[in-house]
Amino acid sequence: MTAALVLGAILALFVVAFVARPFLREPAPSNDDLGALSEGQRARLELVEERDRAVAALRELEFDHRTGKVTDADYRTQVGPLRARVAAALKALQPGAGPGRERIARN
Amino acid sequence: MAELGRAALLLSLGLVAYAVLAGAHAAFHRRRRLAVSAQNALLAAFATTLLAAVILWTALARRDFTFSYVAQHTSRRLPLGYALSAFWGGQEGSLLLWLLILTGYGALAVFLNRRQRELIAWVVPVLGGIGVFFAFMLCFISSPFGTQAAPPDGAGMVPSLQNPYMLAHPPMLYLGYVGLSIPFAFAMGALLSGRTDERWIVMTRRWTLAAWTFLGAGQLLGAHWAYVEIGWGGYYAWDPVENAAFMPWLAATAFLHSVMIQEKRGMLKVWNMVLVSLAFWLSILGTFLTRSNVVNSIHSFSQSPLGGWFLGFIAVITIFSAVLIYARLPLLRARTQLESLVSREATFLYNNLLLVAFCLTILWGVMYPVLSQAVRGETRSVSKPYYDFFLHSFGLPLLLLMGIGPLVAWRRASLRSLGRMFVIPFAVAVVTGGVLLALGYGSSAPGILAYTFCAFVATSIVLEFVRGRRATGSVVRLVARNRRRYGGYLVHVAVLLFAIGVAGSSAYQTIHEQTLAPGQSMRIAGYTLTYDRLDSVSGPNYTGFRAVLDVARGGSHIATVAPGENLYPIEGPANEASVYHDPRTLGDVFTTAQTIKGSSNIDLKVLTKPLVNLIWAAGFIFVFGALVAMWPDAVEQRRLAERYAAAAA
Amino acid sequence: MRRSPARLVIALSVAAALAVFILYTSIAGAGTPQVVPTQIHKYVGQSVTLVGTVLSTRGDAHSSAGMRFVLSDPNQKVGRVPVVYHGSVPDLYKAGRIVVLTGTMRSGQFLANSGSLSTKCPSKYSPAKQSAKT
Repeated sequence: MTAALVLGAILALFVVAFVARPFLREPAPSNDDLGALSEGQRARLELVEERDRAVAALRELEFDHRTGKVTDADYRTQVGPLRARVAAALKALQPGAGPGRERIARN
Repeated sequence: MAELGRAALLLSLGLVAYAVLAGAHAAFHRRRRLAVSAQNALLAAFATTLLAAVILWTALARRDFTFSYVAQHTSRRLPLGYALSAFWGGQEGSLLLWLLILTGYGALAVFLNRRQRELIAWVVPVLGGIGVFFAFMLCFISSPFGTQAAPPDGAGMVPSLQNPYMLAHPPMLYLGYVGLSIPFAFAMGALLSGRTDERWIVMTRRWTLAAWTFLGAGQLLGAHWAYVEIGWGGYYAWDPVENAAFMPWLAATAFLHSVMIQEKRGMLKVWNMVLVSLAFWLSILGTFLTRSNVVNSIHSFSQSPLGGWFLGFIAVITIFSAVLIYARLPLLRARTQLESLVSREATFLYNNLLLVAFCLTILWGVMYPVLSQAVRGETRSVSKPYYDFFLHSFGLPLLLLMGIGPLVAWRRASLRSLGRMFVIPFAVAVVTGGVLLALGYGSSAPGILAYTFCAFVATSIVLEFVRGRRATGSVVRLVARNRRRYGGYLVHVAVLLFAIGVAGSSAYQTIHEQTLAPGQSMRIAGYTLTYDRLDSVSGPNYTGFRAVLDVARGGSHIATVAPGENLYPIEGPANEASVYHDPRTLGDVFTTAQTIKGSSNIDLKVLTKPLVNLIWAAGFIFVFGALVAMWPDAVEQRRLAERYAAAAA
Repeated sequence: MRRSPARLVIALSVAAALAVFILYTSIAGAGTPQVVPTQIHKYVGQSVTLVGTVLSTRGDAHSSAGMRFVLSDPNQKVGRVPVVYHGSVPDLYKAGRIVVLTGTMRSGQFLANSGSLSTKCPSKYSPAKQSAKT
């Protein structure tokens, strides 16, 4: 019983020390903010995801066309808008793109 | 040592409670050090829970009967492997396994994603909250560290649990059940943090796939255990406890498919939040059903005090996730829309609807006795015919969709392209159906439909690989560049084999029972079984008999089977089936025998189950396909890293 | 932009699923009553699922006369129903176990469907006995 109590107490000490470690390492940090993404960064992340989706969609269309799942006529119909979408997404990510970003985000 | 075990669990409870409170405060007030401290608490909770688990395992290995749990579930003569497996053989131990896996998974998920500070700050309190429930149960309601004066020997283990499959089936199931907590926690974390991006999906993709794979493999192991151990020659009885594992697997299957739509098209965001919550909710419901005797099952047990607590926890999860999803609806607005009802997105949507419908009909069947008692004052239950009806109604279209989906392009598919893609699989299916009908397999309409659809699906998958290889130059390159897609196709192949095995072994099985004296024979489905003699057997903790039978076909000996019974002095009798695996039919000759008092005659029951071994083979392909789908892709990892770096710039 | 057909698809699918469900329950009937021995007198002549604790057993389930046992309400001593059963007997069957079987009550006896007998696994999830701590 005593051994168990002692072991339990030692374990508790270790655990408390580990949990308190961030405070022990930085008792007075210059910055304790969690560092979340700003609104601008969140918007940019959405645009980046949209760019990746557009690029992936174009790649899928190319692959589906090569494997015969999409006919030549369907490919010609779809590839134009998809390329435009990729171009628009890339453009929206350029510095100073402005309102275009919101249009891409909505579409 | 029991005191140390209790202390360790109390520490675990304190740590997960701290993770909830400190973690929520830190996330809300954006306190970095406090958030890291809460993460550390989750990691430390794993360590303390692991200590508790090691203590229990040690007590089981040593047969320390001062632990009540050890005395209730083991005996001195129980082989070591089974003694260790008693860890999950009882309520308290299985709850400890839940907490161990939860804290382990949680610690790993949080550690691997610790740089995503904003999201993880919210994930930690959600995981902690789940942990608080289980830790509380273990500390105050159902502790595995109760002690007593040590009896001379323990109560032993139920004989049917003394089977190698029971060493793997429960841990696999738990790795699956508990694994669904991770995507749930990340989804709720994303909602709590107000994030609209897909990062939570990217972070949990492999976790979800792994949990789903474990759950699927665990169910197959359980089905195989039931097949070889219970002795009725079946592998799934639509028992509520079996359904309790099947339902979250169905919901997770739907989620795995629809999450691809969200990643590719930015659609179905609300649906995915609902699905991931449903999958987790069902995993908790499943844990509840096995412990509460709310629903009559051959597995469910006498009234447990946990029932009310689980119900409360389920209510909390329901309210929490519903309110959060509702509150964040504006953030979950879709950016795009479904362009065509004939597109791969649409087939995924149909697949989702069928999977969820099937899942809900099973849930209805499981809860029917409770609902009928509440509404009509009379307990009514549904059984195999109910479940079979919906298995056919939803399962057959799902099977067909598995073949249609891969042939349809994303966004929009023209009828001309569909016609071109469908013609070969359709032709193969029609020919297959015709041949099977001509061979006399038309006795079962669902069976023949299933086989026809399987032919369609198999052809479409083969064509996918053939066309893909032509486009990329090699199968290896094809799979390496498209791991999720082609790993998914391999999983679909596994589902096909499974469907063929189930259809064959249920629709086309034969059963015969007969009393035989030594020298007498029984004929069934082209086999002749001749009873030779009765042998005695003994093992480390049992004695028994085996009825030795010669199996012949066409007058030639092909095998010897020896069904019988083991008698465990402490635990009682256990049937031991004997199975001949026939390579010609990929099926089994399944035999069980009972002696007749006062003679050497036996009551022999034989089932022939064509194609049943495809079910077990499917399990291996299922796991292989899932591994391919989850295998890390360096190119993709780099692309994702660039994406999130670009966003932070 | 054209209105998404997804909502239409979902609505039609839900309606279709409900139709299938309603069709099934109306044709096939809404379940089998699940009763204990004290309730069986209300279901004479009907196919039911009977759940009870085995009080006593005699006979052989594979003989022509069958195995005869008496059931009471689960874990209670009330409600005695004599049962006649033919078919496989599960390993765990013995006096004191809770069993489940389907059949029909006729002429004061429960005539069980052949092979329908199953036993509940002995409690691995029953409450642990409260034991004195050392």
